[in-house]
Amino acid sequence: MADTLEKLLQNPRLWRGRDQANTQGWQGLPSGYPKLDRYLPGGGWPRHALTEILLEHYGMGELQLLMPALARLSEPEGSEAADDTEAGWIAWIAPPFQPYPPALLQWGINLSRVLIVRPRQENETLWAAEQALSSGNCAAVLMWLDTLDDYSSRRLQLAAEKGQSWAIAFRPLEALSQPSAAALRIQLISGEKGTDLGILKSRGGRPAMLRDYAG
Amino acid sequence: MSSLDKSPAILRDTAPTPSVTAKPARLEHTQQSFALVAKPTRRLWFCIYLPALPLQALNDTDAEEATAVFEDKEGMRRILLADKKARAAGVVPGLTVNAALALLPTLCLVERNPQRERQALEALAAWAEQFTSFVCIETPEMLLLEIAGSLQLFGGLSSLQQRIVAGLEALGFSALLSIAPTPLASTWLAKAGRRASILTQADLTGALSKLPIRCLGWPDSVNEHLGGMGINCVGDCLRLPRAGFARRFGAGHLLELDRALGRLPDPRQSYRVPERFCSEYELKEEESASDLLLNVCQELLIELERFLLMRQLSVQRVSFSFFHLREPATHLTLGCLQAGRSVSHWFELLKIKFDQMVLPAPVIAIRLRAGQSQLLTARSDKLAFNDVGKRQSEPIAYLVERISARIGNESVHGVTTVAEHRPQYAWMPVDLAQVPHCAAAPSYWCEDHRVLRRPLWMLPEPRPLQLAQGAPVYQGVLKLLGRPERLETGWWDDDGIARDYYVAANPAGVHVWVYRDRRSAGGWYLHGIFG
Repeated sequence: MADTLEKLLQNPRLWRGRDQANTQGWQGLPSGYPKLDRYLPGGGWPRHALTEILLEHYGMGELQLLMPALARLSEPEGSEAADDTEAGWIAWIAPPFQPYPPALLQWGINLSRVLIVRPRQENETLWAAEQALSSGNCAAVLMWLDTLDDYSSRRLQLAAEKGQSWAIAFRPLEALSQPSAAALRIQLISGEKGTDLGILKSRGGRPAMLRDYAG
Repeated sequence: MSSLDKSPAILRDTAPTPSVTAKPARLEHTQQSFALVAKPTRRLWFCIYLPALPLQALNDTDAEEATAVFEDKEGMRRILLADKKARAAGVVPGLTVNAALALLPTLCLVERNPQRERQALEALAAWAEQFTSFVCIETPEMLLLEIAGSLQLFGGLSSLQQRIVAGLEALGFSALLSIAPTPLASTWLAKAGRRASILTQADLTGALSKLPIRCLGWPDSVNEHLGGMGINCVGDCLRLPRAGFARRFGAGHLLELDRALGRLPDPRQSYRVPERFCSEYELKEEESASDLLLNVCQELLIELERFLLMRQLSVQRVSFSFFHLREPATHLTLGCLQAGRSVSHWFELLKIKFDQMVLPAPVIAIRLRAGQSQLLTARSDKLAFNDVGKRQSEPIAYLVERISARIGNESVHGVTTVAEHRPQYAWMPVDLAQVPHCAAAPSYWCEDHRVLRRPLWMLPEPRPLQLAQGAPVYQGVLKLLGRPERLETGWWDDDGIARDYYVAANPAGVHVWVYRDRRSAGGWYLHGIFG
């Protein structure tokens, strides 16, 4: 049986997603949560791609989930921004509330690299996000969107690749049934002990469910 | 030669002649080694000193009322200059404003405006360019004209001088003038009020020797010190040993003396009236197709770039005017944070603005006018061979400009913290346009930030919470975690708070930051979410 499987794997017509991710040298960005890193291909967040986070409601721990990685990105002596004074910005586009700078500072975010954009309309959010992603200045772009069609998500994904930036889109749970070009799609659900994290789609990885990801 | 004979030993640049003043031979020797001989290029500096510039820079020089300019010095408002009518009423410089008003209640008082003075001086410099190609502005109230090359053209010195004096009078400026072979000597002589006209280096030392020390514009402490030593004029000063003078008063003053005497070169920078770019493109017929118009705009921008490139300049503001046949012209102004000249950046901004603009009628001509140009400050790029494939980043300012061009200026900002206990005041937005090169804004630590937990999400306004069985409700009954944090502060500015903050959790596990207002009968409010 194992022999047959081995033979099958040798077949050049067989295409394995996981290998493909690895051959691209896809080094993930450590999330700061070892439990989560184990399930993410490359051992962390996809660096230059779109990550989609689906939420029931705001404040479920969606920011805490990202903070360690964002802190690492905004560091002046971080690997990404070591020799480039203009890189390493973190853009917040259309946040639903006010991101509170003292708390950001507590999490280790470099406040001089924070850019907040408050568009008036949804299409401006997408436009600003695409601009920020493709400019090459932003290490990460966080955006809050109600609607994101397949076409727009593909555009964001391309912009993230072009600007070598990490795009993070926060969307309501209703978006679950809609298709998306995101490299990583996760959902946060309130569980019994804490917030549960479900990996819905992961390029080069496989779906999983984590109970109380922070615990 | 007589002046040289009388002059002190230190002034002798060439072979020493027997000195009149008895000086030890030892000193003379060291002084000789210091003496530097400047190249004998003939230069003549015409100095225009405008002592009444603060008054004359006002546009209404022939006003009906008596006018005086006052200056705020250390909280005291004193008269700086007064015109003829005011002086006749007894208003003299140095008087306090109140005293002046008591003397002359109808006195028109104007505060000194250095910016306007500078503008007047620049306008005058531009006017003076008709007499010479080399005009320089000596702040704050002098102009220096190099006239050696202009003498022939204007028919000799006296004719040129007459022209300048007549021109200044016509413009309404009263000036003190002097001519000397070195710029510093010329300014000193003008300040001393000597209508000197010294044409040769040989006469210079004699003329300067008689000048009182206070005309040199040295600090008061130095003047007093010299006065205490019995040294009141430049000649006395020159008789001092060089080494000792430099040690006591600094080498800078010694250098000044050397420059004034022409022993050291004293290069000056010529003032140039800034050039502005303005170009027009006329279309063959009325057009309204935006692609075509944008193409024309791009042509104009390329022209602008070439103009700036040749002069090593950059601009921060450009404006387009779109002319219509029957409607008034439509104007579109683009500004950027960092002065630049790159076509692609301007064009990018133009496209964003152009999309939002509504043209009332087809366009017949387009004009591009650049704002005040400034010298380009470029920095060298990295020599990068192995950066291929790395992130190509442009200045963050470009991104901020693009976003604010489309969405609005107030919609993009940075953040910083403020040392303040009241949570709503513990941060403030930072205008990214104001921070030069978007450098790190200082973040202030408040002790709270280090120790106490703060929520990542803040509500713009605290939201009142309903109560159920005495406990606040937010998506379910809240359970208070831990001990309260009491904040009672801000009594000094009408926005004081007296609150007990709690970290609370709702049944869904969401951690929130709530407080009980201790002023208004225990109302509960939601202020933040830990996110």
